[in-house]
Order: sequence, then structure tokens, then C-alpha cells
Amino acid sequence: MDITKLPLFETMRERMAFLSARQTVLAENVANANTPGYRARDVEAPDFAAIAAGENEGNLTVTNPMHISSAGTPAGNFRIKDMPDAESTPNGNSVVLEDQMMKVSSTQMDYATVTQLYRKALAMLRVAAGGQR
Amino acid sequence: MAMDITKSMTTAASGMRVQSDRMRVIAENIANASSTATGANGQPYRRQIVTFKEAVDEATGASIVRVDRTTRDTSDFKMQYNPSHPAANADGYVMLPNVNPLIEMTDMREAQRAYEANLNVVDAARNMMARTLDLLRRG
Repeated sequence: MDITKLPLFETMRERMAFLSARQTVLAENVANANTPGYRARDVEAPDFAAIAAGENEGNLTVTNPMHISSAGTPAGNFRIKDMPDAESTPNGNSVVLEDQMMKVSSTQMDYATVTQLYRKALAMLRVAAGGQR
Repeated sequence: MAMDITKSMTTAASGMRVQSDRMRVIAENIANASSTATGANGQPYRRQIVTFKEAVDEATGASIVRVDRTTRDTSDFKMQYNPSHPAANADGYVMLPNVNPLIEMTDMREAQRAYEANLNVVDAARNMMARTLDLLRRG
């Protein structure tokens, strides 16, 4: 059994990949806070509930490395869209540092939550497997 | 995934680099706020402006920010009546640099704020990385 294939772990992995991707996009926004004409961006969140619930039910099973998997590749496959902040400067820049900072810290907090959850879930598995805590 | 976090650090570092470049130019402007010409026909110091542009870092593929170019402010020079000055013209006026200390100060604050924001991003990215590494430590 591959524990990374369990829906719970898969969801958390996806969530962590999403948060890292978001952090990268936010870093780009902050770095370009004074670039004329730059529009702030954000990453669109995938449907985590669907991944946790049924996830790959309808996907084709890969029995040969030559097969093409119908499941999307999890990491780094998120849609990035324009998400201008509340105001933009006369030179067309739509990055508001305060808004970006809020997003950065919420991303960071979410990431901490997920890793904590991951740790707990692993501990639970270990208990089930009969190891000492 | 960890690659993403490193990328965001590269991006934030480029942001810090351009903001410090901007800071240097602001310092040059302020330092030269009263640099007049030496002769009657010369021109005083002209204020410099930095602009940024988006770029891609070839080594890591990270999206970064670069200094686009440093241009000169084309606004008019200030005139001051000072006939005894070596750079005074026939009417006794001296051309002073078009540096406005107020503008430079606000610009400096903005650069400072942007620099801090980038620093925060680096900190956040580092924390996330540390969290992931923590998973290795007795899960």
C-alpha cells in the first residue's frame, strides 16, 4: 500500500503543492510591486473536497508505463489568473502590498496547518500499524 | 514543490535587488541635490529615475524583476538669483538640479516598504520549507 495514494494524504499533498505554487505567484507580485503595467495574479484553488471524497474514481488505471494517465498531474498544474488588488496606480500597477502580505501570511498559516495535519495522520497510521507512539 | 518555494525565494531576492538599486539612485539624487554646473554654459545635475520590468531568470526559470533602465527626469531646472556664483548666467541666475527632496523622501519610503515586503515573503517561504523538513523529524 502506498500511503501517498490514500485520498487523505493525496489531498494534503495537493494542498501543499497548491500553497507552494501560490507562494511563488505572491512572491512575483511583491517583487513587481513597482513595475509599471504589472497586474497582480493569484492561483485558482482546485476542488480539494472532490479530491478528498472520490478523487480518482473515474480515472483509467495505468498498468503500463507507456499508458497515459487520465488523472491530472498534481504538483505544479494550477491555473494562474489575474487578480488585481483593490486599487491600481496611474502607471497601471495593481499590486497593493498590504493585500499581498495578508495573502502571504495566510498561505504560510495554511501550510503550517496542513503539515501539522500530515504529521497527525501519519501518527494515526502508525498507531494502527501497532508501532509505539 | 520544494522547487516552487525556492523559486519564490529567487523572485523575492530579485525584488530586494531592484529595490536596493532604486535606493542607490535615490541616494545619488539626494547627494547631488545641489550639484550645479561649474561654468556658465554647463548644466546642473539631472535627477535620475529607475523603472522596472518583469523578466525570467534563465537558471531557475523563476519569474523575476529587473531594472528596466535608468532615465533622466526631463523636468525644468530650478532657477536661483545668485550673480556671484561661478555658474550664473548673464542675468545672474544659477540653474539648480531638478531634485525635489520631498519626492525623493517619499520614493525612499516606498522603496523601503517594498524591500520589507520582499523580506517578509522570503521569511514566509523559509518557514514553509522548515515546516516541510519538520515532517522528516519523527513524523
